[in-house]
Amino acid sequence: MRQPLRLRLVLRDLSTAAAFASMAISSQVPVWALVLFALALIVALTGRRPLARAPRLTALLLLPVAGLLYLAVASGQMDLVVAACSFAGIVAAQRLLSESTAATDGQVLLVGLLMIAGGAALSGELVFALCLLAFAVLASLSLGLAVVEAAVPPGEPVPVRAVMRPLARGTFVAVVGAALFFILIPRLSWNMGVRRASPGLGTATSGFSDTVRLGGSGTLKSNPRVVLRARLTPDPVDTEHLSAYWVGRTYDTFDGQEWSTIGAAKQRHRTRVTLRPGADKQVYQRIELLPAYGSRTLIALETPAKLGNALTHTPTGDRRTRLQELGGDELRFVDDGLGYSYEVYSLPPGTDTDPGRMNQTEADQLLALPENLDPRVEQLARRVVGDEKDPLAAAQKLSAWLQREYQYTLELSGDLADPLEDFLFVRKAGHCEHFATALTLMLRTLGFESRLATGFFGGERVGEEYIVRAGDAHAWTHVLVPGRGFITVDATPPAFRTNQSIQILESLVSLYEAIEGVWRTSVVDYSFRDQLDFMRGLSRPPRDPSSDEQRPSGPPARAWWTAGLVALGVYGLVRYLSRRPRRSPLGEATRLVDAVERQLTRAGLPPREGETLEDVSARFTRDAHPLGPTLAPLTRRYLEARFGQRPLESGERARMLEDLRRALDTWRQGSRSNAP
Amino acid sequence: MRARLRPPRTLKVTGMGRTYLVVTFGVGLGALNTGNNLLYLVLGLLLSVIILSGVLSERCLRDLSVRRVGNEGAFAGEPFAFRWALTRRQGHAFALTLSEVDVPLTGEGGVGHLPAGAEHVVRADLTAPRRGPVKLVGVRVTTTWPLGLFAKTRVFPLPGTLLVFPRRGFACATPEDAATGHVGEAHHPHRLDGTGDLAGLRELGEGEDARRVHWLKSASAGKLLKVEREREERRTYVLEVRAGLADEALERRCEEVAEQAHRLLEAGHEVGLELPGQRLRPGAGSGQERLLLRALAWVGFEEQREEAA
Repeated sequence: MRQPLRLRLVLRDLSTAAAFASMAISSQVPVWALVLFALALIVALTGRRPLARAPRLTALLLLPVAGLLYLAVASGQMDLVVAACSFAGIVAAQRLLSESTAATDGQVLLVGLLMIAGGAALSGELVFALCLLAFAVLASLSLGLAVVEAAVPPGEPVPVRAVMRPLARGTFVAVVGAALFFILIPRLSWNMGVRRASPGLGTATSGFSDTVRLGGSGTLKSNPRVVLRARLTPDPVDTEHLSAYWVGRTYDTFDGQEWSTIGAAKQRHRTRVTLRPGADKQVYQRIELLPAYGSRTLIALETPAKLGNALTHTPTGDRRTRLQELGGDELRFVDDGLGYSYEVYSLPPGTDTDPGRMNQTEADQLLALPENLDPRVEQLARRVVGDEKDPLAAAQKLSAWLQREYQYTLELSGDLADPLEDFLFVRKAGHCEHFATALTLMLRTLGFESRLATGFFGGERVGEEYIVRAGDAHAWTHVLVPGRGFITVDATPPAFRTNQSIQILESLVSLYEAIEGVWRTSVVDYSFRDQLDFMRGLSRPPRDPSSDEQRPSGPPARAWWTAGLVALGVYGLVRYLSRRPRRSPLGEATRLVDAVERQLTRAGLPPREGETLEDVSARFTRDAHPLGPTLAPLTRRYLEARFGQRPLESGERARMLEDLRRALDTWRQGSRSNAP
Repeated sequence: MRARLRPPRTLKVTGMGRTYLVVTFGVGLGALNTGNNLLYLVLGLLLSVIILSGVLSERCLRDLSVRRVGNEGAFAGEPFAFRWALTRRQGHAFALTLSEVDVPLTGEGGVGHLPAGAEHVVRADLTAPRRGPVKLVGVRVTTTWPLGLFAKTRVFPLPGTLLVFPRRGFACATPEDAATGHVGEAHHPHRLDGTGDLAGLRELGEGEDARRVHWLKSASAGKLLKVEREREERRTYVLEVRAGLADEALERRCEEVAEQAHRLLEAGHEVGLELPGQRLRPGAGSGQERLLLRALAWVGFEEQREEAA
């Protein structure tokens, strides 16, 4: 038995790994399946096949695994698709460790195909595209080598170099063809069994919670993933970096360790929510929260007045969702989704605002201090502020002092009994939550109403939109100024308000996010409407509604180009078909045989069971039958016509049949006259 | 009937191809069912691969020409070497397997890579089940390139005749008496001493007279060696296949005569053949054996011989 080509096996194993990775990136495949597959892959790549000696026994062991997975699905502990994917991974692992035969290789690659399909069902990530591409390339190379290896006689070398190039070219064409199919296959969906895809690459880290706890380390600040995209109207065209606060929610109660809100959630769900009266020159925002955001809290530029028209993005498309009001001016989407988009109207910065609807308890809470607050905090605040009576001026004094005297750092010592005391009097360094907490509480000790706000700060311009990263998460202070509403005062040094990620990492992630954005809009969210637009775009350029340009009379140049390309394609196809060797008129030759057999049967000389025309002709010749000389040239002409050497000429079939008919008549007459 | 129904190109789905099609169908259903664009993407790739397989396999079978190079003696019931010469005018071809069409010959030859221009000789071990002329119609060239999902076949019409000799190794009876007598004392064909000086030694054949063994040399060589002299005793045998035999009896007789002729010719005798309607003059040597085998192969197929002529 020939030793299988090592390169082919390595390619096969790696293609299976790519297929498994397409499922694994969804983070839904259980750890035990991951570990088992990884071990099997490592062993297989070293060239060892330990299950080769007992393929049937190990295959039987898969049955209990299937049973356990079924039980897990039946008991609701595991999703059906996840269970199927896990089982496919285990089957692939078993096959990888079995002896390499043609059947095994085929099974490995087909299981890989199933895993790719499973990956498509589990994940919508850009990485899936890479896995799919890797699988397509590696599996094609492996299969191609297997085909050639099987055809090479034993003892001869497999022409690996000669095979690789055409295979790679073919794979490239297949991938291009896949893209064309993808664009053109009509998006007709029955929409009967829909799964929810994973939220994104890795876990979302910028999610909002009901509390803000001081302490820990500020790793979020170094996360460059994009969580929000917004299009603003009016568009600050020339502003590359916004210095804007994107508020998510506010907190009014501090217990010494963490911030929370006393306001209760409202049961009513609405499609539009008005938080405060509008004003002139409101800023309109069309906001998209991306999967990396990982929360259902709405974000809006300060100070939001109206929010609504929210859509939830799911793997099957977008659907409308309603909003729920919670305490702390927080709004949440009612439905879960991969991402969300919605519209917001915010008051322009500097506008006097309504503080919002607060009951007396909530209003009193704006001055509440933790029971164990260090008395030095108030002393410090008084020393800095002096006898300033204006809340905003006091807040600005404190803010400037904090920025001047305290250091910004993301390296903290972890959970402490009194993090504020540690920040103000011990370490004198902290992150935005420490600065904002210190400012808020110091204001409260002086009798100024204030609260903590969390959200994001900044915004980079990308194209016509602004993006906000997870590292832009920020906390600041709202000071209630009588007659002007809540005013934002930020105690964090300005240089540290936006994300603190490494520049090169930020660039790489930006690139990845841009490609992922294209992937999502062009692939994951590709729809029937996009198909129509694509087809329409082949003949008509998209119209700019803002342009007053008149439509040109007659078809546009694009239509001519498309028509030209189609004509060229048709011409090429016709040329190709006309260059192909002309097939013999199959029907003509077959009809000739049918007619001959019919005539022979009518004459009482039917072909025997399984006897071809050649056999009949040979028999007649052997038996010196009078019809032999007529049938032999006819049979020869049939074979010539059948195998493409000399097609039957026009009228030749009828002529030969006429000759046969005459010969049969003559034979019949001769038979009758010889009869006694 | 099979020949009649066969189009110039045939496409057959392999075992893996069948599963591949089922998976494609399943992914298509899944894509329709869920509207998941990634499943549409996978479906696009699967369909694209199917089309690519068709195009590449077609390119493999284009611009090919085949001729038969010939074979060494083909004996019924045992593999014999058969060769085709394969040429490609332009482009490369991969994973081609060759076999004869519509004939009871089993076995096929293969070539992994066929570059343009050079003639490549493909060797195959074929086996014919029975003696006689085999009418060759054409050569079947099949490829599963590029991915082994489909086997595309093209038949190259190439008429010819392969003569299959009778089966070897049939336990035959002792040959009948020689047609012409011997010289000397021996009356039995095994007791033929020859005359003249010692010409050489050779290994004692099965059934040969043990009295001709050179014992001294045999003892030193460790095997039985027979003495050959300048003038060996030659006998002339005329073997016969009687008229009237048919089917299995005819086959057995042909095999028996072939084996007898082989043994006698090996022993250095002259052997002739008496066949219904044909007579071969006695002769010796391997050329005579080939003539005898050819004649025996045609017995019962005389009308085809006339056609072939």
